[in-house]
Amino acid sequence: MGSVLRRLLFFFQRNQFDRDLEDELRFHEEMKARALADADGLSGDEARAAARRRTGNRLRLRERSREPWIFPRVETLAQDVRHALRLIRRDPAFTVAAVATLALGIGLNTAIFSVAYGVLWRPLPYANPDRLVILSSAQQTTTGVRTFSTWPPMTYQGLRPRVTTLDHLAAYTSIDAQLTGRGEPLQMPALNVSPDFFATLGVSPVRGRAFLSDAAAPDDDRAVIVSDRLWRTSLQADPAIVGQSITIDGVLRTVVGVLPPDFTFRLVIPRLGALPDADIFLPNRWPADSGRNASLFLLGRMKAGVNKERAEAEVTALVNDPSIAPSGTLAAAGVFAPNVRTLAHAGGLQEQGTASARPLLLILLGAVSFVLLIACVNVANLQMSRLTARRGELCVRMALGAGRRRIVRQLLTEAVVLSLLGASLGVMLAWLAIHVTLPLVPQSVLPGLGGIMIDARMMVFCLGLSLVSTLLIGLVPALRVSGAAFGEGLALHAGAARATGDRQGERLRTLLVAAQIAMTLVLLIGAGLLIRSFVRLTSVSPGFESTGRDGVVQTVRLTLPERLADEPERIHAFARGVVDRIQSLPGVTSASLINSMPFGRMFIQGDVDIEGQPKPTLFAGAPKIEPGYFRTMGIPLLAGRDFTPRDTAAAMKVAIVSERIVRECFPGGPGQALGRRVRVNVIDRGEWLTVVGVVADIRQMSLEREVQPMIYVPFQQDHSGFLRYVAFVARTSTPGSAVEGIRTEIRRVAPDLPIQSTVTMDEAVAASVAQPRFRTVLLALFAASATLIATCGLYGLMAYAVTQRRREIGVRMALGAGRRDVLRLVLTRALRIVVAGVIIGLAGAAGVTRVLQTFLFGVTPTDPIAFTIVTLLLMAVGLMAAWLPARRATRIDPCAALRAE
Amino acid sequence: MKEAKTKSKNELLPGTLEMLILKTLSIGSMHGYGIAQHIQMLSAGVLTIEEGSLYPALQRMLVKGWVLAEWKISANNRRARFYTLTTAGKKQLGIEASRFSQMFGAIMRVMKTT
Repeated sequence: MGSVLRRLLFFFQRNQFDRDLEDELRFHEEMKARALADADGLSGDEARAAARRRTGNRLRLRERSREPWIFPRVETLAQDVRHALRLIRRDPAFTVAAVATLALGIGLNTAIFSVAYGVLWRPLPYANPDRLVILSSAQQTTTGVRTFSTWPPMTYQGLRPRVTTLDHLAAYTSIDAQLTGRGEPLQMPALNVSPDFFATLGVSPVRGRAFLSDAAAPDDDRAVIVSDRLWRTSLQADPAIVGQSITIDGVLRTVVGVLPPDFTFRLVIPRLGALPDADIFLPNRWPADSGRNASLFLLGRMKAGVNKERAEAEVTALVNDPSIAPSGTLAAAGVFAPNVRTLAHAGGLQEQGTASARPLLLILLGAVSFVLLIACVNVANLQMSRLTARRGELCVRMALGAGRRRIVRQLLTEAVVLSLLGASLGVMLAWLAIHVTLPLVPQSVLPGLGGIMIDARMMVFCLGLSLVSTLLIGLVPALRVSGAAFGEGLALHAGAARATGDRQGERLRTLLVAAQIAMTLVLLIGAGLLIRSFVRLTSVSPGFESTGRDGVVQTVRLTLPERLADEPERIHAFARGVVDRIQSLPGVTSASLINSMPFGRMFIQGDVDIEGQPKPTLFAGAPKIEPGYFRTMGIPLLAGRDFTPRDTAAAMKVAIVSERIVRECFPGGPGQALGRRVRVNVIDRGEWLTVVGVVADIRQMSLEREVQPMIYVPFQQDHSGFLRYVAFVARTSTPGSAVEGIRTEIRRVAPDLPIQSTVTMDEAVAASVAQPRFRTVLLALFAASATLIATCGLYGLMAYAVTQRRREIGVRMALGAGRRDVLRLVLTRALRIVVAGVIIGLAGAAGVTRVLQTFLFGVTPTDPIAFTIVTLLLMAVGLMAAWLPARRATRIDPCAALRAE
Repeated sequence: MKEAKTKSKNELLPGTLEMLILKTLSIGSMHGYGIAQHIQMLSAGVLTIEEGSLYPALQRMLVKGWVLAEWKISANNRRARFYTLTTAGKKQLGIEASRFSQMFGAIMRVMKTT
């Protein structure tokens, strides 16, 4: 033990040690000189010279004196590292190529892994997040299985006291809230939550308190809890904010708590994606008679020892129990079909939130690890070629006693050094990639973007990657060295060992390059499939004309405050007034209004009844529009008429149906539908409406889905709570000034009303394909990187092959082969390698592309066009890569080649 | 002289050199030259320890903690490194000495048989 410590100390005092030894030896020498001078009568100088001669090998003495002090393994390691660094410095081209390739592979992997971790696996900031479940339901109806993600308040109130498998059961809904009185009026996402919401999550505000639950103060009804972000921005990070009042939706509320900075609650609506994080939390008790207008998400915390199946079984039993609810079961209290068994489903909170993003991210992870593999193979090949060049030197060293293990250890050290250099560069690349590109990705594509960063865990992952790549890079050359055939083919000429033909090495490298090409092909095919899908998708017509001769369709969306929900006449007047004024704006050809914009976030639909016919099985959308809507949007009118200002609240209730309803229910054509009566039941049973017109179908939510049947109702004739969501649409050739004009008109009537969004329909449609675009771009990027790396690999191999075969080519040329023959020779060799790789790749792709199934649109996973184009492309690229070495081959001077060796 | 030098380099049993140095230092602390001189004198010139063996051996003993080294002024006013025996070194001396006599005794027994 003591010796280890002493040796450690030596490490820090090396220089002093050397000096001491020098002094000591000098002293010894002088003493010896004096003795010699006394004994043999030599002069001072002679004596000193004689003494020095007798000392023997000074250098060896110093080495041997140092030996007891060093840690032998550390010393050899240090030697290896120094040697590796020297080699790297000596061959900068190799180093740059290797490190750059590794950095690309490792960097891309680290970046994607950070994204995947941040979105999918980062532990949620709640207590025991794996105990939290979201309750949803499914019903088997005549039209198929319908799933619901929300529940009516009566069900919530009925479940709460009775459920035994859950410690807490909280409810929440997503709303928009308007903050006024603190700077500019802001509209922000908010959550209505039950008072035990934060207790269920196991989170407490970092300032103030959570909501008081149940029995306690009804004063808490005017409380509000804000997010850290809102506190910092709109409330100026006021430390005394707790107890102050802010105005939400025109109502004065007291701030009782501020949430921790890392708190997020991700709300994911099935099929719509993730909503932006809420900044405001309002308490709501939802008494059982809240009416059917409310639909709540339910969040439960399972008791210890309870699993999801048990919780599901209990909730299902309770919901279908007729003895609980006053009129039937808890299930019948909502929009569920009566007399049908409702099945509850408990899904883990984290899985629910990430289910949409998971398949994509896993595929991206797979694809990007291919890129890393290809990169490592490249560097391994580069190492192999260097190894071949050094074969002579290494064999001589081994013959002199260096030992195979020592050489292998040295090669591995080189691989480690290269990998670490590549990893450090890669981490910087990843950091850059994340900070530059992530802000450009829309929130709806990847939920939880804010949690993605390069932190310690990512660094560890990066180091792990570099270890893997080290093994991949270093193992192959090391194995070659250990192989018995390593010294084969070496010829000793005039004492110097020369590396002539290294057949085994070249075969190995060829195999690796073929493997690279195979993997690149798989990636390219995947990218090709996605590109074709994306092109197909974006060529689908949405049904309306978002850009035309008269300009584009500009929309301005806003939400009216909740207190107006009981005053539909005011909303009617507001809508009519603003639309009239917008229509007379310069540059605006026509304008109108709708309450659920296509490609917007909201869509209301219900089941349909047709008078005098059996109930159809479809669900129709029920948007409310002002006259002129179809003209503004460019939706053709197929029969009858559009709404007019005469369709007021007092007049006959009318409707306009879409083509799909006619196709399904009126086989006689659009004309047959006019005058008939229809009814759409969204939450409550609707009124009978007389059909006065038929319009063409449009796609409401996405280009992928089929067209949605619609029953349009005049805005002025509707009194539902959905009137609050208003989108003004205007066809204009000057969208910029139109937006300004609309804003002015709105502000004239309602100065405090924040505008939610102003997008053109083109932008809205483009945003709807943001996810497909994202994954297509990424996969194409990976495929391109892989192609680049594999091309360099092929180029390197061909260049090497040409150099190795100079003699052979020289002989051929001397025997009469022309330039073209030599060219053909090299190119066919390259082509054979590419074709071999392509065949393996095609087989692999046929199996692998199945995972892309869910992302493909109008294209099969084995789409022959994509396969063919990609194959031809890769072969062309391969030929290009071999072109330069082939040309160099034709330039070989046969005489020089034959003479040189 | 030359023969003795060869002998001391090649034929000393391993550990014997250390034993001799430890014994020398048990008399008192000395510098490297002094140790070599002492051994040479006491062995009547048979054992000559060259620097090439002496100083590495001294370093080995320093690592193992059998001796301590200190810079002091020598008899003729020069600066030299003096080595002192430690408690561990004294113990080691005993171990080496007994081991050596065991070996020596065994060898002698073999040689004594005619």
